[in-house]
Amino acid sequence: MDAARSCAREETTVPLTFTVLVDRDHAWAEAYGVINVPTTIWVDEQDRVVRPPAIAPADDRFIEFTKFSALPHHEQLRAWVRDGVAPMTDQEVRSRREPPDPQLQLARAERRLAMHLRRRGFDDLGAAHLDRALELAPDDWTIQRGSLPVRGKDPFGQDFFDFYQRWESAGRPGYPS
Amino acid sequence: MTVTLVVDGAVHEVPGEVRDGSVLVTPEGLHAATGWALEPEGLCRGDVCIPRYRLADALADALVDVAGVGAVLGRAVAVEPAASIAVLAGAPDDLGATITSGDAPAFTLPDLDGNPVALSDFAGRKKLLLAWSSW
Repeated sequence: MDAARSCAREETTVPLTFTVLVDRDHAWAEAYGVINVPTTIWVDEQDRVVRPPAIAPADDRFIEFTKFSALPHHEQLRAWVRDGVAPMTDQEVRSRREPPDPQLQLARAERRLAMHLRRRGFDDLGAAHLDRALELAPDDWTIQRGSLPVRGKDPFGQDFFDFYQRWESAGRPGYPS
Repeated sequence: MTVTLVVDGAVHEVPGEVRDGSVLVTPEGLHAATGWALEPEGLCRGDVCIPRYRLADALADALVDVAGVGAVLGRAVAVEPAASIAVLAGAPDDLGATITSGDAPAFTLPDLDGNPVALSDFAGRKKLLLAWSSW
């Protein structure tokens, strides 16, 4: 929670005008099928998803890595907010989604268990379950990258680049196009 | 004795015990945490019942084995008997049905001050959900 608070302060130099929520257990991320950050999801007035989770950087600072330009996303967003133009049909939204595979669900359960164990002071037991999660989901960003700070590793250090290269060589599995 | 059952991220302390490396809970505890109730015909929630004959590995005397329940429900389970804790993940079928329905799943999460905020607090408006991380 403290980390999230300091992050919210760092990310902007003006007071935040939007609501910031903390998904410590990845329960929201799991329900919405979030693959990596930054991700955006658009939800309409009737609580229908009009744009499923998409990698959407705020700007092009990291375009070499992400391969996603911010501009088309911003233009689509303006068209939707101002004129109600949806970026894709409801059918397209639904057909883009896939249920999680059972092994990923097991990895998520192991990660969640690891985090609960750490919070209760069972650090060694937590580390063992986190290792299990990492083994089960070698290509999952949320589990691999999201675990680096917990394991005392730099989220932008060598471990991150090793993971990135492995994932890139494997054809960017799990990523939306 | 009490054991911890984490279901969809929510923490439940329920009556139960650890036996032979398994986390066992009372049927009442399971019901409180998951909505699944042990009935004469089987394990039931709403209109759905898993019949008794499929529950052999999930029942231990008067208690229910969380790992066994996960197996019959198709839900992943992670267990740490040394800390009396079991985590039941979302069912891929349920998650898949929600994800492919196009409906935005309801959620409630704490804000930076710990106050709960729900998707329904923004009913009738367009919502841009942006996920980023504090790393």
